[in-house]
Amino acid sequence: MNTKWESHDGAIVATVDGRVDGANAHEFQEALEAVIKASESAVILDFEQLSYISSAGLRVVLLAAKELRKQSKQFAVCSLAGSILEVFKISGFDQIIPVHSTQAEAIAAVNA
Amino acid sequence: MTDRPCKILVVDDEPDLEPLVMQRMRRSIRRGKYEFVFAHNGVEALERLNEDEDIDMVLSDINMPQMDGLTLLDQIPKVNPNIRSVIISAYGDMKNIRTAMNRGAFDFVTKPVDFNDLQVTIDRTLQHMNEWRAALAARDKLVSLQNELDVASKMQQSILPREFPKRDDYEVFANMAPARNVGGDFYDLLQLDDGRIGLAVADVSDKGVPAALFMMSTRTLLKGAAIGHEGPGEVLREVNDLLNESNESAMFVTVLYGVYDPATREFTYANGGHNTPLVVHADGSSTELPLTGGVALGVMPELPYDQGTVTLAHDDTVVLYTDGVTEAMNAEGEEFGVDRLQETFAASPPQDAQQANQTVFEAVHAFAGETPQSDDVTCLVFRPREAAL
Repeated sequence: MNTKWESHDGAIVATVDGRVDGANAHEFQEALEAVIKASESAVILDFEQLSYISSAGLRVVLLAAKELRKQSKQFAVCSLAGSILEVFKISGFDQIIPVHSTQAEAIAAVNA
Repeated sequence: MTDRPCKILVVDDEPDLEPLVMQRMRRSIRRGKYEFVFAHNGVEALERLNEDEDIDMVLSDINMPQMDGLTLLDQIPKVNPNIRSVIISAYGDMKNIRTAMNRGAFDFVTKPVDFNDLQVTIDRTLQHMNEWRAALAARDKLVSLQNELDVASKMQQSILPREFPKRDDYEVFANMAPARNVGGDFYDLLQLDDGRIGLAVADVSDKGVPAALFMMSTRTLLKGAAIGHEGPGEVLREVNDLLNESNESAMFVTVLYGVYDPATREFTYANGGHNTPLVVHADGSSTELPLTGGVALGVMPELPYDQGTVTLAHDDTVVLYTDGVTEAMNAEGEEFGVDRLQETFAASPPQDAQQANQTVFEAVHAFAGETPQSDDVTCLVFRPREAAL
């Protein structure tokens, strides 16, 4: 897993590639928490390059969603590849967390 | 690692070493850094070591009456394997120095003793020993943690039902193959009123002890809710609300819970973010149960859980499973997937619940090959049988 952070029009966009699973979920969690703490912006996770996310990884996404909601900040995920989108659909996370098909859409949505 | 001074046993038959050490090391002694005890030969040294468990290191001469320093080196590990020894040898006595090192001495100093060098040698030895002890303590902690995890894993296994009904009007068989870590899969069978049976398969996010605890409470809540409510949708709704009452860690659990009524051959189910079960027909063809929506439990309170109902043929087979089945990976990094599961049954139509269950595990096993199992694999199979209607 590699995470690249960029600032885009009032949102912090994290591009996550590779796998997020039990072995690195904690690392992912710490990175996300640090960004949420350091910034007032909305957070967008771009999963276009993500090949796999385990339930441990989903838990980290959920933690971030809960924390941002508590702080009244916007949160979205975008560009979910086939199997990742399926995981979001099966778990029902797509009903809880805003999912957008492109990064541009996600940025527009959190700024709306 | 402790606040007490480091205790050093000095072994030498020459009487002048003791006052010299006490004099030259007086600052370190006064500051509480070192404490010295003395012996005059190997036999006496072993007596001291036996009496006093606090001795951290031994500083010993080689040539002594009764028992020499080289023999002492052989004996020390039998008293305490964690003591480090430094040998004092005559300058240039490489033969004895080599023997001492081969017998486990940590270092050596030469006569006449240079006390600055001795101080450095002692500090280095003690530092090494503290690191060694810290490593030993960490290892012991790890071992005890591993033992606790093993207990948790056994507890988890022991709550899974191992006896399965094989009646005239239905039969069930289930199995869970745990991954190496304590995981969070479980299945359950619940005998309900009027001959109905509740069937559940669940998968807790993440692994380890927190997941095991979350799984235990989910199972208990599910049992309670299943007995108190009619429909699976209400059951999941109640379990979800209860799990959300205190869930700081954002754990969640995906659950498929269904109730089979042999009188009508209806299977009514609700889905909390779980893999959709398969209905496999007698010819091996299969369909996924219609989706009902539903979010994983523990994510957010007050969510609705819609129900679906299917009427089964007497020779249908319902296969409930966790993502350990469909996300099992082979050496090429491919996932087993629902398609392969369906192909498996197409090639080998279910004969009975146990055989169908084994078919799933064998197929996953064959597919994964040598690739280590990273997640629990759980599968529950149930079949209506001839009777009823």
